[in-house]
Amino acid sequence: MSNDDLATRLMDDMDPRLLEFIRTKVNSFIKWDLVRFFHDNPHTTDTAEGIARYTGRDVRTIEPELQQLVNAGILQTSPLNDLTVYTLATDTDTRKLINTFILACDDRQFRVKAIYHVIRGMR
Amino acid sequence: MTVERVTTGIAGLDDMLRGGLLRGSATLVEGAPGTGKSTLGMQFIYHGAAEADEPGLILTFETFPRQYYRDADNFGWDFKALEAANKLRVVMTSPEVSRADLQHVNGQIEDMAQQIGARRVLVDSLSHFERLAADPIELRQVVYEFINGLKRMGLTAMLTRENATLLGETPDIEEDLAFVVDGYILLRYVELSSAVRRALLVLKLRGSDHAKDIRQYEITGRGFEVRAKFEGQQGIMSGSPVSTAAEAFVQAFGRKK
Repeated sequence: MSNDDLATRLMDDMDPRLLEFIRTKVNSFIKWDLVRFFHDNPHTTDTAEGIARYTGRDVRTIEPELQQLVNAGILQTSPLNDLTVYTLATDTDTRKLINTFILACDDRQFRVKAIYHVIRGMR
Repeated sequence: MTVERVTTGIAGLDDMLRGGLLRGSATLVEGAPGTGKSTLGMQFIYHGAAEADEPGLILTFETFPRQYYRDADNFGWDFKALEAANKLRVVMTSPEVSRADLQHVNGQIEDMAQQIGARRVLVDSLSHFERLAADPIELRQVVYEFINGLKRMGLTAMLTRENATLLGETPDIEEDLAFVVDGYILLRYVELSSAVRRALLVLKLRGSDHAKDIRQYEITGRGFEVRAKFEGQQGIMSGSPVSTAAEAFVQAFGRKK
């Protein structure tokens, strides 16, 4: 087995649901930040500008990432006059998966693996 | 006609309010940084949710919900447990969104309030609405409309507002949001005998009598505690009181045994 294969096997060694979650939904560091933010503040109801302020980022960076999280079913949007408001998805299974992911991130080894997959996905 | 009161859970304050706030009213709590506006508001919400069977909302425009959970924990108030029991929602939002949301039929905030049967709301803080309108007259209309939106939902509201003046007289302002609220509570720092104390005054309570005296208060491990009124001092609300003539005489010549 090559070193690359070994590294891949080691890094893939996690709950398959979480591996899928990282590869397909939380596939950037900004999305990871946003998912953590909405996990910690689940009743947040605000525009991209507001969320950018809360997360200390530029709205131009945040907005496309928020939209991708909407497309992935993690967040939802609703129109409010001329505003687009983002909230956490109400789906129970999605919230449970987010909670499982955030809890898993408390473990350093999991974080290392998650970072590996995010970087690989960004290539 | 019996007027329904909404207790704050703070014994001395409910006494000053002659039993509590009026149901469905909006009360402004104004003070400098660190005077305890948010603590008073959190205690009002906690008392409702945990002790009076009145679930509540906290609308926060700057302080993160996790900070509320942490600060509440320090006073022995388990906000997370109350959220899990659907007695509380701490909502991080902005004045722009909350204003538009209340204008909307079945907006998110109204939806949340209905889900938990909210009876109380803390808005922390109203100062952030200043970015919606530079003109004081327009700001007053925006805030008036917002408060009416909260009242429409049947909520008894406490709204905080920042005052930058730490000590000394509050500078004159052209327009004062105190006119559009039903109650107005002022929290001030007072310099007394080389120490800083805190003073509370109920300036207004529309439709009700209220205490006119200025009382000391402290923020202890149990939360906001209102103490006795300041005695023998005048000019308390200036921040730098002086002894009254009678008190000065007593201080100079000692008390009779």
